[in-house]
Amino acid sequence: MSTLPSSHLRLTAIDTETTVRIELRGDLDYDNADVLLEAVTDKLTAHPRLRDLHLGCAGLGAVDSTGLSILLMIRRRTDAAHVCLHLEDRTPALDRLLTITGSMEYLTALPADAAARESAGAKELRADTEE
Amino acid sequence: MSSTDAATDVNAQAGSLWSKAPYPVLIADAHGAIVLVNEAAAALLPKACPGARMSDAVPEWLATAHTALRVPHQGDGSAIRSGPVDDRIFEGHPTVEDGGTVLWWLVDATDHLLAQEALRRERERTAFLGKASNLLLSSLNVDRCTHVTAQMAAEHLADAALVVAPARGDRLPLVTCLRGGAPVTSTPTVDPESVPGLAEALQGFPPVATRWVEPSTVPEWVLPEGFGQAGSIVVTPLPGYGVPAGALILLRRAGSAGFTPEEEVFARLFAARAGAAMAAARLYADQSAITDVLMRELLPPALHQVSGVDFAGGYRPSEDHERIGGDFYDVHPAITEGAPSLVVLGDVCGKGLEAAVLTGKIRNTLHALLPLADDHQRMLRLLNMALLNSHHTRFATLVLASAVREGSSVRMRVTSAGHPAPLIVRATGEVQEADTRGTLIGAMPDVHAETAELFLAPGETCVLYTDGFTEARGGPMGDALFGEERLRRVLSECAGLPAESIVERVQMVAAQWLGKGRHDDMAIVVVSAPRTHHLSAVNGRTRGRFTA
Repeated sequence: MSTLPSSHLRLTAIDTETTVRIELRGDLDYDNADVLLEAVTDKLTAHPRLRDLHLGCAGLGAVDSTGLSILLMIRRRTDAAHVCLHLEDRTPALDRLLTITGSMEYLTALPADAAARESAGAKELRADTEE
Repeated sequence: MSSTDAATDVNAQAGSLWSKAPYPVLIADAHGAIVLVNEAAAALLPKACPGARMSDAVPEWLATAHTALRVPHQGDGSAIRSGPVDDRIFEGHPTVEDGGTVLWWLVDATDHLLAQEALRRERERTAFLGKASNLLLSSLNVDRCTHVTAQMAAEHLADAALVVAPARGDRLPLVTCLRGGAPVTSTPTVDPESVPGLAEALQGFPPVATRWVEPSTVPEWVLPEGFGQAGSIVVTPLPGYGVPAGALILLRRAGSAGFTPEEEVFARLFAARAGAAMAAARLYADQSAITDVLMRELLPPALHQVSGVDFAGGYRPSEDHERIGGDFYDVHPAITEGAPSLVVLGDVCGKGLEAAVLTGKIRNTLHALLPLADDHQRMLRLLNMALLNSHHTRFATLVLASAVREGSSVRMRVTSAGHPAPLIVRATGEVQEADTRGTLIGAMPDVHAETAELFLAPGETCVLYTDGFTEARGGPMGDALFGEERLRRVLSECAGLPAESIVERVQMVAAQWLGKGRHDDMAIVVVSAPRTHHLSAVNGRTRGRFTA
């Protein structure tokens, strides 16, 4: 567990071999959205076996257009790394922003290969957890 | 040598010591008769010998000082006098005895005075250079820099000064200033080659030395009106930052002293400062001209009635100057009569120059896609493809609205691409949200949008806005959101107002809500069906077939 410093956005990350969970507290906006992108990019390179990236949004304050742009970039990066992105505990304000901008589906859907993996059954999942 | 003997009699021992003293010493009695002159004094003042009268033997200033000392209460016994002896300056230090005899020490002060004078001049010049720098650097305006340079040069360096800027075609921009006068700008058609050294100085690089010019060889245009005959002329380059800033021509009248080498060096020091300031001002002017050209393309257009549909728009940029936002709107009138006009209102993600560039790109792309304006979805798909970029996910949200007059009402199709849906203000005051939604543009591989069809009866209005309004924080406590509900309430009160009045009303209420708080860009476009009466007399086909 590590805490990454930021003036208005505090990130708390919990890592396992195949999952990373980052709790977001504060504003995801023009001034500090890049902190989140950096943190996620670092996790993606540091964990080559990463399967799931969870972003805990319960403590999220204001999200502006730059913040949303960063979420879209994170989605693009996780797709490229075959990692499932999970936006969890979304606030009503975040839900509203994702709905108005039509990005809800894109940001919350499972990537095609991850969906296939889930449907492939519990066998592979069990194999993952044994490692 | 009887006179020397007489002096020795007065004070033999002292006299022999005085005679060897390295400084000129002179003793004279209360009646102005010289009593003793030592060797140094005799060498300096050949006429002075014991027994001679002061007034005959020494320079006037010393004789006068001596007379003054003899009259009590008129002279200060210890004050130092000074004056010329031949071509040097001497100080006379008097020691007055009780009997009125005065012993004069004469000290050569020429070098001291020269040094003092040099120091004074140097201080004056430093002060002048400091003042010049302050005046020149306090402005980034080229004209003002040039004027200050000419005026200061004329005031302190010469009788008149010309600042010559690099030639524009065959015209030479000049600023002329006579001492005590105001700078005069002119651009005569003259050849810089006609003044020796001027063409080289104007090239600026490689740096050329100051040039003396023979006054009789200079052409008429160099001499300012009413200057008369020139006595000496100097051409000094004004060095810029690798680019030529111009040249300085200093003129002195015939009869006045020429330029000393010191003054020439000083003129170059001044020219270096003036040149740097003018070059900085010119660079700044170039940059702001470029910014102006770019900004002109980004400014929202003035809106008015197009083919019987009223359009009005308002834009209030963020006051946070480093963060010029990316709200924009455009109205593209129909190419053919009877076809709908297209309104675009959008908001680009991010701030500053990058957002401005993306805004420009979107506006240009949409302009090129105008032939497809009937099919909003297709337009948005093509725009998305044009903007999609692997480097970033900077996106835009926008609303497309096509509006065409049908009879006395207006038929509209509106499509939101990730943008707050337009609000429709009915004649009754009811405010409805247009039933359209879609995805933002420029960041996702696939986009989709749903278009809403709607009709505006006369006096009804469709309002397109950016979230700068709804996200504005202010109110009594200073931190409450303006919000969509408040916007709807304001619009409801605007029912039946003309388009421009609605824009003004919404902007005013939002400004009051904000107070002095910071805010994002706020853009609004209002499309209205005017309250009109159909004029059957003009057949309803030509311009002016409706009354407002």
